[in-house]
Amino acid sequence: MLRPILVVALALGALSSTALAALPVKNPDAYTYLTISDADSLDPAYSYDTASHMVILNVYEPLFQFDRGSTEKLIPLIAEKVPSRENGLISADGRTYTIPVRKGVKFHDGTPMTVEDVKWSLLRFLLLDRAAGPSSLLLEPLLGYASTRGEDGKILPNVWQDANKAVSTQGDKLIVRLPRPYAPILTILASWSPVLSKSWAVKNGDWDGTEATWQKYNNPSKETSPFFERANGTGPFKLERWDRKTKEFILTRNDQYWRAPAKIKNVVIKGVNEFGTRKLMLQAGDADAIYADRPLLTQLQGIPGVAIIDDLPTLEMNPVVFFTYRINAIGNSFLGSGQLDGNGIPADFFSDKDVRKAFAYSFDYKGFINDVMRGKGTQATGAIPKSLPGHNPNGRKYALDKKKAEEHFRKAWGGKLWEQGFKFTMTFNSGNLPRQTVCQILKRNIEGLNPKFKIDVRAVEWPTFLDAYKSSKLPIFVMGWNADYPDPHNFAFPLLHSKGDYPTTQKFKNPEFDRLVEEGNAQTNLAKRKTIYAKLQDLAFEEAPQLYIVDAVRYRTQRDWVKGWFHNPIFPDSPYGSYFYTISKE
Amino acid sequence: MLKFCLKRLAFLPLVMFGVTFLLFFCLQFLSPEMRASLYIKDPRQLSQLEAVIEKYGLRKPMPVQYAIWLKQVVRGDLGYSETAKMPVAEAIRAFFPATFELTLLTFFPILIVGVFFGVLSAVYKDRLVDHITRFVAITGYSLPSFVLGLVLLMVFYGRLHWFPPGRYTLETDMLVHLDSFRHYTGLLTLDCLLNREGGAFVDVVKHMILPACTLLYISVALLLRITRSSMLEELSKDYVRTARAKGLPERVVIRKHALANALIPVVTLSSLLFIGLLGGVVITETVFDFPGIGRWGVQAAQQLDVPGVLGSTMLAAFLFVMANLISDMLYAVVDPRIRVGG
Repeated sequence: MLRPILVVALALGALSSTALAALPVKNPDAYTYLTISDADSLDPAYSYDTASHMVILNVYEPLFQFDRGSTEKLIPLIAEKVPSRENGLISADGRTYTIPVRKGVKFHDGTPMTVEDVKWSLLRFLLLDRAAGPSSLLLEPLLGYASTRGEDGKILPNVWQDANKAVSTQGDKLIVRLPRPYAPILTILASWSPVLSKSWAVKNGDWDGTEATWQKYNNPSKETSPFFERANGTGPFKLERWDRKTKEFILTRNDQYWRAPAKIKNVVIKGVNEFGTRKLMLQAGDADAIYADRPLLTQLQGIPGVAIIDDLPTLEMNPVVFFTYRINAIGNSFLGSGQLDGNGIPADFFSDKDVRKAFAYSFDYKGFINDVMRGKGTQATGAIPKSLPGHNPNGRKYALDKKKAEEHFRKAWGGKLWEQGFKFTMTFNSGNLPRQTVCQILKRNIEGLNPKFKIDVRAVEWPTFLDAYKSSKLPIFVMGWNADYPDPHNFAFPLLHSKGDYPTTQKFKNPEFDRLVEEGNAQTNLAKRKTIYAKLQDLAFEEAPQLYIVDAVRYRTQRDWVKGWFHNPIFPDSPYGSYFYTISKE
Repeated sequence: MLKFCLKRLAFLPLVMFGVTFLLFFCLQFLSPEMRASLYIKDPRQLSQLEAVIEKYGLRKPMPVQYAIWLKQVVRGDLGYSETAKMPVAEAIRAFFPATFELTLLTFFPILIVGVFFGVLSAVYKDRLVDHITRFVAITGYSLPSFVLGLVLLMVFYGRLHWFPPGRYTLETDMLVHLDSFRHYTGLLTLDCLLNREGGAFVDVVKHMILPACTLLYISVALLLRITRSSMLEELSKDYVRTARAKGLPERVVIRKHALANALIPVVTLSSLLFIGLLGGVVITETVFDFPGIGRWGVQAAQQLDVPGVLGSTMLAAFLFVMANLISDMLYAVVDPRIRVGG
């Protein structure tokens, strides 16, 4: 439905692009950002979406923060110091972190923040553990398991004891004890440790911090949380209102902030789905920054008073082509006949390495970057994006090579594949243009190699896609991964470990991959980690369980009167969303 | 008349039961995994799919799920809409007044313009005014609302800065959310007047002008054409010829005789138009970023937000029954020969 709207908007865009001369600064006290995302909940322990976390980033504060654009260097925020072996705040065995908590910090309601609030917030984050929520990000390193509930949905027996062993206090210091060394723990805490007011929460009906009551708050409904639509943090902005009717957040400056107050007085984050409307509002100066995908860039260039900041690195690997090693054949129409007879494929079609390599050599990586990414970005060399340590820019990578593709197809399945041919259906979630293009490129190039090769490309709605994905019915699927925290483990595990999200569905298991992923995670020496991840990358090239296509870059569109913005790819909705503290309009 | 109304209203719960049961039944053809997609938006959450299905009881048999929902409804709880991020009843209260205001602002001009020009066009058949009116009607009828909406937005907001999109400006937003601002009716324009906030009233109206104009132009065409053809039919009948032969002034023939009869199909169409507007106009609401009931209903359907879909459907069924009732009553007003009875 929205596609025709977009087409008309693009056509009409030319009409108005020359209409405006540069405007004087409009609404100098308010920074307005227009997005398409819809926030889920403002409870930091519940929400796992970028729109919610953009607000949370500005209203709450974690223990540490990344130093402006860095994804490696941390600066203390609620903590007074960043623990390191040098300052003695990380124990020799790498399992105990002592974190002194800052004094003189107040919540938005004026009450002082204490180490007890920090401890309670961390415990709450662990124990709330809603289904499909973010708690596993801290449960895994702090408790050693990813959920507080077993497969039967019942709460595991030692959760309370384990959580209290992992998080405790000593005077004004927070003590975090890990069951085993976990290299990315500080970067995880920098994104996932927002501090909430315990007394405010309890007063509003939330967990009182005791063992007797915690299970009542485990896996809750979102609307039962007092933090769902209200906030009482320590951050540079207060939540004035979340108007779910108009899909609008209004933040006001926290004038009692423990650092110097923010420069801008109000921030408005508003959901406007229609691109034409967003563009017009930017043009008119009613919006200071808007969300816009790469294909829309040309529509935004040349608008007076609007700046485009391009080539901004990302922390994502998207799109990625995944091969399913053992396809679920029950009631599966994507497989055709289910045999290698020219009218289908067997369920273990992609377990043959030559098939995977043939597909890898059939993809036009450069063409994709040129056409879909408008020439922006570089070809990915592995699962770990280039903005993270552990990425090896010199690693081996595939290129379109039809000769090699044919060689591998001829070798595959003992030569039977080339003789018999195959047919199957490749799907993508409808509306996703890059993923659609990936499917079409593979189809065109592979079908061109042998007239007996047939690939149907079909768009399916997200619910249908999800259903087929989860039951491993998709022979190939194209999806992606965005970072939860800036560490190579956050890509290595979900993409390449047999217990990771994607390999589970792919039915891909390789003990050498698992060993390297686990070794990389436990290793705290950066140089050694890099060596481990380089090996992993090389192994991924050799085995080709997935195809990595592009290390993408993004662009940001903002009025040129916006000053002080900086890019950090780990920020939610980056680079469109922002840390508003440094922003002003001049 | 009262008996007739009560009898029609008595059918309302049955209609709602039928509609919701049918909808629930249809939704069961979607697997639990598909219905869980409402809660799984990101690949990072996929590992928790089974836990989500368990949490929301999506594997329970359809009659059980329907019984649970119905039990909630009887208790006055219509469930929670994931797309609106609020309980369904609250969502209806939040979104419906905006659509209702837009409908009020649009509907009466549509009626006046449609009937007036329809009559004019019929009376001056094949003359210049008829050609112009028909041309305008045909273009309005064939113009997609998103094209007209975007053009209007481009000109009157992009170039002239007169009528911005959205519901209100930041200043009005702040004002209407103050504790001192009382929401007497839920209708923002009226509440602004009752709070004596003239500036806010003007601001809210300014934000409604373009969506109202879009709807007016798109919707008036149909009414105009129906009025014209209905009027032409009446004007060709014997009783009109007789009236003219009796020497009655043409004004009287048209107003008192032909128009009264020509209005019957117009009443039917108007009631359908009214329901259509009240049910929300998705494209217009999307283009103008207007937070109405239609946009919510479509988002709920797209995302398989079952409580949201059921809530908006119940509202639509309610509006449909009510509008039909009102139009039946209006028939009697328009044409005294028609009597509604029990």
